[in-house]
Amino acid sequence: MSIQTSGLGFVGQSVARIEDDRFLVGKGHFVADVQPEGGLHAAFVRSPFPHATITAIDTSEARRLAGVVAVYSGAELNEGTHPFVPFVASPGSYSPLYKPMADEKVRHIGDPVALVVAESRRVAEDAAELVIVDYDLLEGVGSIDKALAPGTPQLWERADGNTLHDHTDTYGDVDAVFAAADRVVTLTLDSHRQANQPMETRGTVVEVDPATGHLTIHNTSQGPHVLKWAIAAQTVSQGQLRSLWQFLRNTQRRKAFFAAAKEFRRSNAADLKKQDNAAMKGQLKKDRSLLKHLGQMGLGLLAKDDYPTVTSVDIGGGFGSKGPVAREDLPIAIAAMRLGKTVQWIEDRVENLSDGGQAREERFDVEMAVNEDGTMKGMRVDAIVDAGAYPSFPFGAHVLPGMWKVYMPGPYHVEAFQLRTRVVATNKGRVVPYRGPWANETFVRERAIDAVAAELGMTAADVRAKNMMTEHDAPSHFLTGPTIDETMSTRKTFDRALEMIDGDEIAQMKADAKARNHRVGLGIASYHEAAPGPPDFADAMSPGAGMLTKEDGRATVEADGRIVMYTSQVPHGQSHQTTYKQVVADEFGVSMDDVEINWGNTDKSQFSFIGTGGSRGGPLGAGVMRKTARQVKNQMLEVAADMLEASKDDIQILDGNIHVSGVPAHGLSFADVAGEVAKRTGVALGPVFSHAEKYEGVGNGGWSCATHVAVVDIDLDTGKVEIPKYLVVEDCGPIINPAIVDGQVRGGVAQGIGAVFYENTYYDDDANLLTTTYMDYLIPTAMEIPEIEIEHLETLTKGENDFRGVGEGGMIGAPAALTNAVSDALGIQVTEQYLPPSRILELAGVIDPD
Amino acid sequence: MSTEQVNVTINGLSHSLDVEARRTLADVIREDVGLTGTHLGCEHGVCGACTILLDGQPARACLMLAVQADGAEITTIEGLADGDEMHPVQRAMKEAMAFQCAFCAPGFLMSTVALLEENPNPSAEEIRKELSGNLCRCTGYQSIVAGVETAVRLLSSTGTAGVNQ
Amino acid sequence: MKNPPFIYHRPESLAEALALLAEFGDDAKILAGGQSLLPVMALRLGRPDHVVDIGRIPELLTLDAGPSGTTIGALVRHAEAERSAAIATHAPLVAAAAPHIGHRAIRTRGTLVGSVAHADPAAEMPAVCLALGATMVAASVGGTRLIDAADFHEGYLTTALEPNEILTEIRLPAWPDDAGGAVVEISRRHADYALVGLACIIEVGDGSITGAALAFFGADSTPVRVADAEAVLVGRPPAESAFAAAAEIVSARLDPPSDIHGTANYRKHIAGVLTRRGLAEAAATIGVTA
Ligand SMILES: Cc1cc2nc3c(=O)[nH]c(=O)nc-3n(C[C@H](O)[C@H](O)[C@H](O)COP(=O)(O)OP(=O)(O)OC[C@H]3O[C@@H](n4cnc5c(N)ncnc54)[C@H](O)[C@@H]3O)c2cc1C
Ligand code: FES
Ligand code: FES
Repeated sequence: MSIQTSGLGFVGQSVARIEDDRFLVGKGHFVADVQPEGGLHAAFVRSPFPHATITAIDTSEARRLAGVVAVYSGAELNEGTHPFVPFVASPGSYSPLYKPMADEKVRHIGDPVALVVAESRRVAEDAAELVIVDYDLLEGVGSIDKALAPGTPQLWERADGNTLHDHTDTYGDVDAVFAAADRVVTLTLDSHRQANQPMETRGTVVEVDPATGHLTIHNTSQGPHVLKWAIAAQTVSQGQLRSLWQFLRNTQRRKAFFAAAKEFRRSNAADLKKQDNAAMKGQLKKDRSLLKHLGQMGLGLLAKDDYPTVTSVDIGGGFGSKGPVAREDLPIAIAAMRLGKTVQWIEDRVENLSDGGQAREERFDVEMAVNEDGTMKGMRVDAIVDAGAYPSFPFGAHVLPGMWKVYMPGPYHVEAFQLRTRVVATNKGRVVPYRGPWANETFVRERAIDAVAAELGMTAADVRAKNMMTEHDAPSHFLTGPTIDETMSTRKTFDRALEMIDGDEIAQMKADAKARNHRVGLGIASYHEAAPGPPDFADAMSPGAGMLTKEDGRATVEADGRIVMYTSQVPHGQSHQTTYKQVVADEFGVSMDDVEINWGNTDKSQFSFIGTGGSRGGPLGAGVMRKTARQVKNQMLEVAADMLEASKDDIQILDGNIHVSGVPAHGLSFADVAGEVAKRTGVALGPVFSHAEKYEGVGNGGWSCATHVAVVDIDLDTGKVEIPKYLVVEDCGPIINPAIVDGQVRGGVAQGIGAVFYENTYYDDDANLLTTTYMDYLIPTAMEIPEIEIEHLETLTKGENDFRGVGEGGMIGAPAALTNAVSDALGIQVTEQYLPPSRILELAGVIDPD
Repeated sequence: MSTEQVNVTINGLSHSLDVEARRTLADVIREDVGLTGTHLGCEHGVCGACTILLDGQPARACLMLAVQADGAEITTIEGLADGDEMHPVQRAMKEAMAFQCAFCAPGFLMSTVALLEENPNPSAEEIRKELSGNLCRCTGYQSIVAGVETAVRLLSSTGTAGVNQ
Repeated sequence: MKNPPFIYHRPESLAEALALLAEFGDDAKILAGGQSLLPVMALRLGRPDHVVDIGRIPELLTLDAGPSGTTIGALVRHAEAERSAAIATHAPLVAAAAPHIGHRAIRTRGTLVGSVAHADPAAEMPAVCLALGATMVAASVGGTRLIDAADFHEGYLTTALEPNEILTEIRLPAWPDDAGGAVVEISRRHADYALVGLACIIEVGDGSITGAALAFFGADSTPVRVADAEAVLVGRPPAESAFAAAAEIVSARLDPPSDIHGTANYRKHIAGVLTRRGLAEAAATIGVTA
């Protein structure tokens, strides 16, 4: 291992997971396990139609059913709530305001129109079937083409032509570069709708304190602070956050509010100055009511006293889908407030498949300007995103244009790049971030590079090698803005991958396959991702966005000597408890058992706009653990030096023993030192040492890089595809726990394999959803996912080293590598991402389309 | 509403429960018996998260009415360990770092125990085939297959895969 | 996703069960292994007022496989058939089908007869029955009637059973000495319901095919045999050329559905592929390599 550790050296080892001590014996604590005594259960009445106006709702029969406590129509629940507001306004965008429940109109199958609260979920479902909703049907908009076609009904009054965003970004002199290039290779690439599909669905259990009205919300959220904020701010007249007037009348609160606002402005001054207000102004021009609602959200952001507590112990996966606020969370909270009772909603799989989050239905018209020798000169892309009906709050489809414009040319030199992105509304489930939300920039670029190679008669590897940045490109800048430093190591992963591929073996496999009426092909994909990226990365996406991405953490040593760490991360499979203990134990020189990690309670952690997502857990989450632990350790060493009458520099900590180097027998325990401080200060309980920090990473590159190589074996009789070889060469810098990193990589690749060969959230042209169960949405099993070989490179920076993220990469590389491999096998240029066996045989010319 | 009496043995303890006939075994195990280790991922038989052992055989607890289990012996994930001592399959999965969010883990563990009981030395292909009735969204399965292989090793030195009660 | 309410009955004898069905008929559903009925109910696609659980009726436990034929009672689970040495010897086509049916945990509970009664067009057992020329035994308070496999499946999830009838057992004819059988299928994922599958039998005497049965599942709303393709095999040596001739007819004759998992053209095509593969596999079981 290459990084410095001060203690026993847990970092860098595949230390067995602490989490498994509860998970493997059935003692995990997931939201459905909370089961408070006397809690009520909710079920939603959901739209069976893609697009319709609601003309009447009759809940009377449902109310009469024994065991039913309350039935609310959407309009009743929306009363007094504030709508979801656009959080990321990008230039050229209009994001409709919408309420938690559908009240006048339904916009997708599964849109919630009424809510039943009953003694059990089964009775709630019985009653939900008795709610009578009258609909006037409207034409469903089930595709990008239909959304944009003239005369198609609009989902949103103010979204003309169903367009929510249309903006073009240009880097370099595109026209000149294209004109000067030897040729332009074009292709249109499609990717299909996919769904994150964690094994645990979403869920919320809302408890109400009868005395204070305070809400405690057990929830599956990856971003619990945003959830508490949304609930506080959007339910203002429901009693959770008092009205502005009441609020201002209370001097103490008013003061706290203005102090918090001032502090926020002060600490984010630089970022605030950078922000492009034109985008938000454009929004306001479309809808003036936004101002009021934004004010409300702003107030909510700062009025911390009124926040509910959001908590979780264990979360069964998310992959981004549990990041945005679930619309359902608001009505459940409102019902609990109104009833003064615990109300819980555990989403079922059918709900999850229609409303639990979808992603990646995108189309790209791609033009690559190249020279005959394979030099990439310029790239021009016209992209359209099918965003579904409702923009996710706070992050959804509207973040894609900003990410794509920075990422799309990838680790290659180009002189000019232009990207137009349109986001369109359709009658489908909402788009959420899905593991590497921007991933299709890699699909587009890497697929296009293979097409270029084919057209020029070169190998795809040669075209990559000719254009890919090398370590000599650091330090410099990407054409699209961010800083390149030595962590931009895609080239190293690519070179290593080429070394590891045995060309003769592949040639032999190809020859053998032909004899069996099979075809074998090899595909490569290379990329880089900001994990977390340099400070100018966020600005390149959206000026000033960096202020949203800082990570808070706190280290303490309690009066009894215990080390207690607080993180704003909310792990849902990433093993934070283990990795953070590794990092902190090393920092202090103690055993992992001596460290307690506190997560998943918004009362104990600092506000975070993101929570766990964006591959932040390693770089920022573990980073701030290490940084704060170091500060606290220094505080302790000061005291210990005093107690041991030695210089601080001579003191070391080994296995929890604080002693002067060479004389371990006369050491102090953590309890001794903490106890001394407690004695001096009279603080007998709680933290005696403490340090909190807002962390932006170590300031340098922060790129994670990888090259994927897929070998596919296609049976031309059946169209079935096997993957005899899959290699990932990745570089996420120093690794905390190799087995955990391997797991992240493999899990991501598995989702990529699922995306290409099995999974499709299928809507017909009228937006009827055909994949509503696991019999039709096909998550690959152990029989479909092959062994995945991983090679780690661990590039260090010249500056202070830090960890880099790895959670998303597997999913970013896989669709590109796999579609390239299929193209190679069949000797064609595949232009779509979804390749079920019947499509494979059509592409191979074995069968005709129906 | 029809309520039935159900007598079942779960992890060696006998329970006499009055349950509404329509309720699944999974719901009753989770809600009435309070053993929440058995998870519900789909409630229509595909994901395998709810897999339990029914008279020693793997079965979907979501695709059984609790009344159908009347008289049966059931083992859930909570019944694998012997007090604080993990079952070899549990130890193996820990050693192999098989899981991530582990929502799927109960089902995989029960399927693995059943598999190794019948076939103590399965090939990798047999393991994959047998575990294909359990979905995992996090791991890509390789670590779980490694966990089963580790269990084979641990068990060959300690004896049977079964549940010791 | 919770089952709708119903009144539960657990008859202890066949007579009691038949009496319940006579009384509740249309409003009742028989519950056997529950592996198809319970998902349907959980999704609230079915909501019977009465559920008659036949799981404790001793008369339905029969599993009798021998040289003169095989009888499979309504409570024989897929797992039991899969493990039975007698089935492997005397009803090898049933043994060949079993591992394809869902996953082990499904097979622990699901019954062969339930699968036949459920009549999913993509299920293996109905096609196995059709290939073998099985006889279905349906009982009601009025008595017992026998239904030919060829007449049993009437459409998607529809059979010749009356609402007051229980399919008590399936009788399979004796397995001929010189016959080979195979069940082959193509599904999206391992162990999924088949996109198309084939249960096939060939009988070989004196170096040529003397009889053949090709029963496809997933290729129509019921399992279907392709008589022309069976006919073209007879009299030819069990070799690739004969199988290919049959395959060509199969692809031309079948009129399969198109859905999100595969187009009609795809299903036609793989039906041909499966014909070749299935027949070769069937031949191999009796030592003939094509
Ligand atoms: C994930 C999953 C995968 C599956 N994969 C496959 C597969 O690949 N191939 C396949 O064939 N099946 C598959 N199945 C279904 C399985 O085979 C069922 O066991 C079978 O279809 C029904 O048997 P059962 O005993 O469970 O019937 P039940 O579910 O109890 O009943 C099914 C239907 O048949 C009726 N019925 C049952 N028994 C009788 C009887 N004796 N007389 C009259 N009516 C009766 C019931 O009223 C009901 O309508 C799968 C199931 C699941 C959940
Ligand atoms: S919950 Fe039972 S199989 Fe998914
Ligand atoms: S570990 Fe998360 S689903 Fe398997």
